[in-house]
Amino acid sequence: MAAALTAAQAGLIGCEHCGLLVRAASADEPGHCPRCGSPLESRRRQSIERTWALVIAAAICYIPANLLPVLGTTTLGSTEYDTIMGGVVFLYTSGSWPLALIVLIASVMVPLGKLIALGYLLISVQRRSSSSNRERTRLYRMVEFIGRWSMLDVFVDTFTVALVQLSPLMAVSPGPGVMFFAAVVVLTMIAATTFDPRLIWDAGGEPESRIG
Amino acid sequence: MADALDSNTLPQATLTPPRRSRISAIWLIPLLAAAVAIGIAVNRILNEGPTISILFQSAEGVEANKTIIKYKDVKIGQVTAVELHQNYSKVMVTARIDKHAEGLMVEDAKFWVVQPQVTLSGVSGLSTLLSGNYIGFEMGKSSKPQRHFTGLKVAPVIPIDQPGREFELTASDLGSVSVGSPLYFRRLQVGQVMTYQLAPDGNSVSISVFVNAPFDHFVSAQTRFWNASGVDVSLGDGGLDVRTQSLVSLLVGGIAFATPSSAVEPAPATADTTFVLYADRATAMKQPETISRHYVLYFTESLRGLTVGAPVTLFGLPAGEVADVGIDIDPATTEVRGRVEIVAYPERLVSDMHTEQSSSAQAMVQNPEQSHAFFQRLVMDRGLRAQLRSGSLLTGQLFVAFDFFPDAPKAEVDWGPKMPVIPTVPGTVTNLEDKVSDILAKVDKIPFETIGSEVAQTLLALNEAIKDIDKAVNRIDKGVIPELKPAISAVRSAMMSADRVLKNTDATLLGKDAPGQLELRDALQEVSRAARSLRVLTDYLERNPSSLIRGKNGEKP
Repeated sequence: MAAALTAAQAGLIGCEHCGLLVRAASADEPGHCPRCGSPLESRRRQSIERTWALVIAAAICYIPANLLPVLGTTTLGSTEYDTIMGGVVFLYTSGSWPLALIVLIASVMVPLGKLIALGYLLISVQRRSSSSNRERTRLYRMVEFIGRWSMLDVFVDTFTVALVQLSPLMAVSPGPGVMFFAAVVVLTMIAATTFDPRLIWDAGGEPESRIG
Repeated sequence: MADALDSNTLPQATLTPPRRSRISAIWLIPLLAAAVAIGIAVNRILNEGPTISILFQSAEGVEANKTIIKYKDVKIGQVTAVELHQNYSKVMVTARIDKHAEGLMVEDAKFWVVQPQVTLSGVSGLSTLLSGNYIGFEMGKSSKPQRHFTGLKVAPVIPIDQPGREFELTASDLGSVSVGSPLYFRRLQVGQVMTYQLAPDGNSVSISVFVNAPFDHFVSAQTRFWNASGVDVSLGDGGLDVRTQSLVSLLVGGIAFATPSSAVEPAPATADTTFVLYADRATAMKQPETISRHYVLYFTESLRGLTVGAPVTLFGLPAGEVADVGIDIDPATTEVRGRVEIVAYPERLVSDMHTEQSSSAQAMVQNPEQSHAFFQRLVMDRGLRAQLRSGSLLTGQLFVAFDFFPDAPKAEVDWGPKMPVIPTVPGTVTNLEDKVSDILAKVDKIPFETIGSEVAQTLLALNEAIKDIDKAVNRIDKGVIPELKPAISAVRSAMMSADRVLKNTDATLLGKDAPGQLELRDALQEVSRAARSLRVLTDYLERNPSSLIRGKNGEKP
């Protein structure tokens, strides 16, 4: 791979929506796509700033998502609220450690991993790090791919709440934590799309020389 | 590759005026998230109630993060941890109390584990069967906050805010009273026993009872409490007396109370007033004796049947009771004698008096000198004496009766000793015993042995007479029948001679006198018929002589 030249360096911009490669009107004002009319950006405008904002927001929401109960189970008059970690501990102590592991990974590790991954990408881009560009790209793809599956928890929660409403005997109600959990997922998804992966290659001049 | 691209052939981007703001609106999102999260955190912290610890003997059914604390069925907290404590002898339950219930955590607040309980007096905690055990809470009266509590073993019987009053009862023993035992007023359940405990000196039991609100007005200073547990059967001189409050009290015990009708001031008693718990209703309802005089009586007769508490009567009216029964030695004669200590309640007699006289009598009773003089005069002049009498022949209960015995030897009240000694006369019981022994002595004198031997002789004679009769019968059998033969032949010869006489008389009779002849003929026919019968008889007898004894048998002659 010897394509060291980027479109930005050539003064060209690829339209993100229709894929038309255009010449930028000027360096400061890239203008609009002549085919689809969407605004052209050599790099996503304020990508790092926005992603940071969203990642920080997600990180803030991550705390109550894990501290607040996500599910309230009412059995014969007594209501029990369970947090995500409480559920993991319950599953583990009741013997089904594979389930506990799944919940732990899907509900705790993955959102946290996404936040860390995005943070790492942002920091590395900001520091104009030029090492392991491919790995970072792969990481970004993974974050983007996982994003759509992260709502599984919320989905299960809403499903259970909708199904288990046998009012006097048993009822399940959503806890406040699930809202924060959903917010974490949504914010990280948006953050992943806001992050411009092109920035990864902007740093440095000769990344390939190091990696080989 | 780059050369192939002619940058000039590429489309040119259109230009629009720039719209840029300094700070991106995107930062509103983390700000919002932070605001919400901080808001929730602040809310949490503000709503965070105190964390308390409760020591229990056992944490049966208490689970961390599941068991809740309820007050009036409202959740006020949740158990966060259950762990062993104090050298593993107790269980420490840590619980987080809701903010709104923080003010309830005061010094004398009570905690206990609610679980289903089935007792004789009812079923409680059934709801825990479905919802699991929870920790019950009861508010305290104090305002001093506290964070460490000791849990109760059982739920308090009476909620602290239940209107009513608490009273203390002192009893010699607990009887069958237990926590939760009902309290009755006119057989209506009006309260419950709350707690009981042994007095520090071990001599009595103190019982706290709670009387519910509308009924606590009926408890006045004069109210009497008595143990209504089980069946109270007493066999006194009044006969068999059975009293019980209710079937429940039979099983779980109970306490009843009433105010005597004579009580003058029915002002409600203040809470925590101490009352005496009497053993039974009769004891409880006795008039309060403000004046009591102790006397000693000496008896030479048996005191069997005389018990402490036996009535002392004057003219049959209750005047006191026996306080002590024992023996001592007469210092003068060194003889053992029965010593009966009685306590007299002169006011009882006063209350039985005519209303007009009662006030003056009351005045006299109040004055010891005057009443002593009056009593002395009764004893000396009128012959007032104490006597043991039988209350019931069946049970042998004795009581002390005062009566007038004008014929009794002169005696006087001995005021000398600590307690005045009242002269006595032998009781009717002894007389009765004497009479019975008299009768027995007379019965003893009856010569049963002589009578017996005479009877034996008579029987012997009778036996011989029977033998004689036997012999006579034998003799008849053997002797009489053979002797009948000559008799029959004699009859025959008599007949023949009669025949001859008739033949001779024929001439005279068959004369002119026809009627006589006819009559004679009839007569003769009768005679001949008789003779024929006789012949038949004699023939038959000849053939069957035994028929004289045994009668004719079936066959005809």
